[in-house]
Amino acid sequence: MLKVNNLVVKRGPRVTLDDINLSLQAGETLAVVGESGAGKSTLIATILGLLKPASGEITWNGQPVCEAHPALVMQEPRAAFNPVLSLRRSVMEPIVAQGTVLGIGCLERLCARLELPSEMLDRRPNQVSIGQAQRAGILRALIAAAPLVLFDEPLSALDAVTQKHTAQLISDLQSEEGFAALIVTHDIGYAVAHADQIMVLKDGRVEETTDAQTFALNPVSPYCRALRDAAISLGALEAVT
Amino acid sequence: MIKAIGGLLLRAVVVLSGTAILTFALLWHAPGDPAQAIAMARFDALLTEDVIDQVREEVGLNANFWQAFWAWLGPLLRFDFGYSAVTGRPVWPDLWAAMTYTVPLALAGLAIGLAVSLPLAVLATKRPGGLLDRAAVGVASLGAAIPAYWLGLLLILLFAVQLRWLPAMGARTTAHAILPAVTLGLGVAASLTRIIRSGILEARGQPFLPAIQRRGVTERALARDHIAPHAAIPVVTLFGLELAFLLEGAVLVEVIFGRPGLGTFLVQAIVARDFPHVQAVVVVTALAFVVVNLLIDIIYRVIDPRIGAENA
Amino acid sequence: MILTVTGLSAVRSGRTILHPTSLDIEPRGRIGLVGASGSGKSTLGHMLIDDLNAQGHSVAHVPQSPDEALDPLRSMAFHWRETEVALGLQPGSADQAGLFRALSIEDGDIRERPWGWSRGMQQRFVIAMALISSPDLIVLDEPTSALDPVVAAATMDLLSSFLDGKDTAMILVTHDLGLAARRVDRLMVMDAGRLVEEGSTGDILEHPQTPAAKALSAHRNWMALPC
Repeated sequence: MLKVNNLVVKRGPRVTLDDINLSLQAGETLAVVGESGAGKSTLIATILGLLKPASGEITWNGQPVCEAHPALVMQEPRAAFNPVLSLRRSVMEPIVAQGTVLGIGCLERLCARLELPSEMLDRRPNQVSIGQAQRAGILRALIAAAPLVLFDEPLSALDAVTQKHTAQLISDLQSEEGFAALIVTHDIGYAVAHADQIMVLKDGRVEETTDAQTFALNPVSPYCRALRDAAISLGALEAVT
Repeated sequence: MIKAIGGLLLRAVVVLSGTAILTFALLWHAPGDPAQAIAMARFDALLTEDVIDQVREEVGLNANFWQAFWAWLGPLLRFDFGYSAVTGRPVWPDLWAAMTYTVPLALAGLAIGLAVSLPLAVLATKRPGGLLDRAAVGVASLGAAIPAYWLGLLLILLFAVQLRWLPAMGARTTAHAILPAVTLGLGVAASLTRIIRSGILEARGQPFLPAIQRRGVTERALARDHIAPHAAIPVVTLFGLELAFLLEGAVLVEVIFGRPGLGTFLVQAIVARDFPHVQAVVVVTALAFVVVNLLIDIIYRVIDPRIGAENA
Repeated sequence: MILTVTGLSAVRSGRTILHPTSLDIEPRGRIGLVGASGSGKSTLGHMLIDDLNAQGHSVAHVPQSPDEALDPLRSMAFHWRETEVALGLQPGSADQAGLFRALSIEDGDIRERPWGWSRGMQQRFVIAMALISSPDLIVLDEPTSALDPVVAAATMDLLSSFLDGKDTAMILVTHDLGLAARRVDRLMVMDAGRLVEEGSTGDILEHPQTPAAKALSAHRNWMALPC
């Protein structure tokens, strides 16, 4: 279980995350939503150990979170890969880096689930579609069986139809593999449809943490209501009577 | 902004003092006996140990490194360069006389470089990859590869020896300055053409240009108001390096064309181990660098205030 | 007056990215040009703007992100004046105050450069510039994708109410049928460089005919909420 306790992160004199608390069970999904600059990406960078917290702690099952080797799926699928290496080389990097052994049939199984034909992996990032590149990104995150996977705006580079398809693949894989997913997104519709819990960040603070159902139907704070209504106004969620 | 300029000034002080210590140390620890070299330059004859020791005493070479350094630095802080170890004359008037030859030459070279490279780069980028562009890049690469001393000799051969249009050596009249300035200017033009060309091409790739064009803004206005400022940023940045090339080139060109100036001044001083002379040239050039780079940083912030904003 | 383009097509490095396409745009039309990424909708959008401008109509364009519309080295005031001059207007003659009020950016300091404004305000400034000449048509290319949802929704609302009762037609180019469906009354569906389906918004949502329209319609939102 991921636990974040009283996390404070500063960049220079500016406090970018202020007193963040959260917990996330294996197999569960937490969506972190909020405007740009709310601290969503800072949270991911801190969990990954790229930023040092000013105070507070982040643990996975009581151990420092880095020992769980959390995996990351990035926002720009093509930019997330080294352009001169084949996707296969990049996808295998977590295995090489962590010195773990790839389970028998693991790659084949994941490829089949992610609808990535094996020969696709021999191409370079710019020789596949953006949707395929992002699925390869997900494959790289799951290949070393990370118990915690962080998704940084995983769908924002994809078109509306591909977004729904990819989101469903992530959810299905999660129920099969059992990893905990922390998804940073600005898309309230995605959060409502696929997350168990939704944490709303505003100016580096937690505005509200609720289950997705409550957020969609009865948002408590005015800010959350505004977010929900914007999603309806933009057609991400459809209000039916 | 004021804070930023303060930071730049502080950096300038660090660069200047670093350069001063470093060159003093290099000169001090260079192999050979400096006292002997100075005495040779003074008396130009076979020397006895006594004379050399006397020189050593007089110039302060038997002090230790730091004592000698402070003895030199102290007066310098009052902008007093001291006296030549060889002639005993004050350094500043001789240095100033040398600079009155070199600075106009460098500026003329820069002017010629700009006058050639700017139109060439603009013409070349009319059709990137076209015949004109490839020709310009080719000529520029060739120009950058040709050393100034070779180009200078070719120009002397053609215009002074064959055609007899211009004088080859010396610095008596303005006509004497033409060949050296052209030699220097063509070298500058070669590198500036490439810098300006790539600056323009990069500026043309800015993502907002198609939208501005769709608003009905004319090609001319687009080039003047949007492409030129963006192209200027890398050009201004690389201008500091260009200055290095300019000074180095000026020194070489002076020696080739037998002109007095910083080049001759420096070469003579190094051979004679004339510490105060060498140090004076180093400090003046370092100062020129620092001032130009300071100006560049300020111009940079005027063109693109984001640069200052990000640092703050 | 109906705006008409005929036989627009585009080939890029040997590949046809837009097959010959013709379409009519009614005054006050609210049209959604929808399709997956790579379907040719943006290409059609751009070609349509250039073609109609060449015909002498006034067509304004709002790109996806303010980064594609504003020069970071130039002030907002400069962009505004430049657009007035390009439209043949006397500088300062456009109703800047009115447009700024309509798009709720009257607090913006136009002496600032774009990055001194929030992205949402930059995007609304770009829309305000597009509306200076009361154009026959405004083409919005994924206008909300670079903005936070609350700001994006507010921007679309402000634009809709500004266009209400004006003759300016609007084309919304987007991959998101859900977004288009709330803002337009006619949809054009693009697939693989072709305009494959066209009809009223209701028809295409309820009875899509082509596979492309069916996919867009089936995935137009994340969830239906009973509220």
